[in-house]
Amino acid sequence: MRKALPSLPFDDVRHLQAHQFLVDEAYLLDAQQYDAWLDTLTDDIRYVMPVRVTTARGAGFDTSPGMAHFDEDKYSLGQRVARFATEHAWTEDPPSRLRHFITNVRAFECDEDAELLVESAELLFRSRGDVNESALVSCGREDVLRRCGNSWKLARRKLFVDESVLRMQNLAVFL
Amino acid sequence: MIPAHIYNDGELFALEKERLFSRAWTFVGHESEIPHDGDYVVRRVLGDSFIISNSEGDVRAMFNMCLHRGMQVCRAELGNASNFRCPYHGWSYRNDGRLTGLPFHREAYGGDEGLPRAGQSLLPAPNFASYNGLLFISMDPAAEPLEDFLGDFRFYLDFYTKQSAGGLEVRGPQRWRIKANWKIGAENFAGDMYHTPHTHASIVDIGLFREPKAQKRKDGATYWAHRGGGTTYKLPPGGFEERMRYVGYPDEMIGRIKDAWTPRQQRMVGEDGFMISAATCFPNLSFVHNWPKLPGSDRVLPFISIRLWQPISENETEVCSWFAVDSAAPPQYKQDSYKAYLMCFGSTGMFEQDDVENWVSLTTTAGGSMARRLLLNSRMGLLSDDRPVVDALPAESFHGPGRAQVGYNEYNQRALLGLWADYLS
Repeated sequence: MRKALPSLPFDDVRHLQAHQFLVDEAYLLDAQQYDAWLDTLTDDIRYVMPVRVTTARGAGFDTSPGMAHFDEDKYSLGQRVARFATEHAWTEDPPSRLRHFITNVRAFECDEDAELLVESAELLFRSRGDVNESALVSCGREDVLRRCGNSWKLARRKLFVDESVLRMQNLAVFL
Repeated sequence: MIPAHIYNDGELFALEKERLFSRAWTFVGHESEIPHDGDYVVRRVLGDSFIISNSEGDVRAMFNMCLHRGMQVCRAELGNASNFRCPYHGWSYRNDGRLTGLPFHREAYGGDEGLPRAGQSLLPAPNFASYNGLLFISMDPAAEPLEDFLGDFRFYLDFYTKQSAGGLEVRGPQRWRIKANWKIGAENFAGDMYHTPHTHASIVDIGLFREPKAQKRKDGATYWAHRGGGTTYKLPPGGFEERMRYVGYPDEMIGRIKDAWTPRQQRMVGEDGFMISAATCFPNLSFVHNWPKLPGSDRVLPFISIRLWQPISENETEVCSWFAVDSAAPPQYKQDSYKAYLMCFGSTGMFEQDDVENWVSLTTTAGGSMARRLLLNSRMGLLSDDRPVVDALPAESFHGPGRAQVGYNEYNQRALLGLWADYLS
């Protein structure tokens, strides 16, 4: 999908709505209100986090061919959420303390009138228990928001994680 | 009984480096990662970095350190190159390791008379070999041949890695670090059927997986053969084809599998009714074969994953997890199998998440002084007088080599740690 440069002015109502969408979403992810979060996704959501790799400048690629950490649709995201509702999802019981920091938000018009391309930067802080150190994940996001009635929904998310080797014990939480 | 501190002990880790990882064959990758001339990946054996390259079809492992001042000559982790040039002073090497150029050769060294380029090469790995495309390095120049090291475990390796004449293709690895000792994952994959119904209850709760109900899991057998062992599931009655279909293999793949597996290997499935699940090859290479349900149906589909528990320290491990699939499988099967893998294992896998939570906690606790006073009970499957709770399967009920028995037990964990102790002492 082609994005129309430059980014929308920060006082454009679409930029403001996109920014609010991301901040509201960050709240849901921090609070682990995953059922409400699923409602903010379109039914044809594609949610992808490729594996990043270190390659020579000029190699023409910096993701692992054909491999991702997340390569999700609504069904698989729904299964992950359903698991948390069971009494046996030990990795998040007790739950992590999470903070999703969202910044560098830019919105762009694209060739679909009802859609916006939105780029942002994200830092996830995750703390578990009281012994081991907390963990961080830094990534860039490329989102497509689609207008659905009076609100926006997330239709595409591509996460460019900034580490080739994650320093987090798993990605049981969403970014 | 196992001293609890072995899962977080700096002195033991130093011994593991000196006596175990300096001698055993360790996995570094798969040939399908470097299929074309010039392809390379960079992999480590503990702290040592190796370039694994394909140079005109010959696969080599070379120590990633310039012969001149010791700089890493390749700092990418994969790519395609005809040459590697050291960024420090510009010595360059062909992708087969031969030194081809050094700046001011004549002025600085007196040309080939002073320093002949011929015969100068990046240091080869002390020992390098492959089995079914799996690439291994041994740091011991006098290591026994890889095939002997693997021994009878090759019988079981074939189930994962040879489902057609062309063998596997792999994607990845996903890499992430966990604050857990490397042995815990290796033991778990080797034989821990006992944890499945409890640790992974949520997977059954959400209907993703048909099998790990307690009743089903204990009907499986564990086996150990020379340098590796694993777990199996007991399949419902049927012949070879029926049982392969039961775990989701399409007929087309079953045909190729029948050509690739020996009659004896087929009998383990077709007659004995055991299907391989998780396994570990000593010291730190593991495999998974599972068959979760496809979205919105009761059909299941298998996936295979290869797993390296790369030690970082006594309490940290880099997990490298590859998705693997038979190279001749239909494209749709490959795609579905890949998605099944992502749901279940790897950095985001729902099985994996709960495992790692346990292993991190275990490692942390093993680092304290109380852990030095605790002998962990690892006697499952043995009565107090060391007689087995359940007798070993006779050869006519289990056609694989080594020792096998049905039900929950810790024979394989003991076998793995037995080898570990042999190497350390």
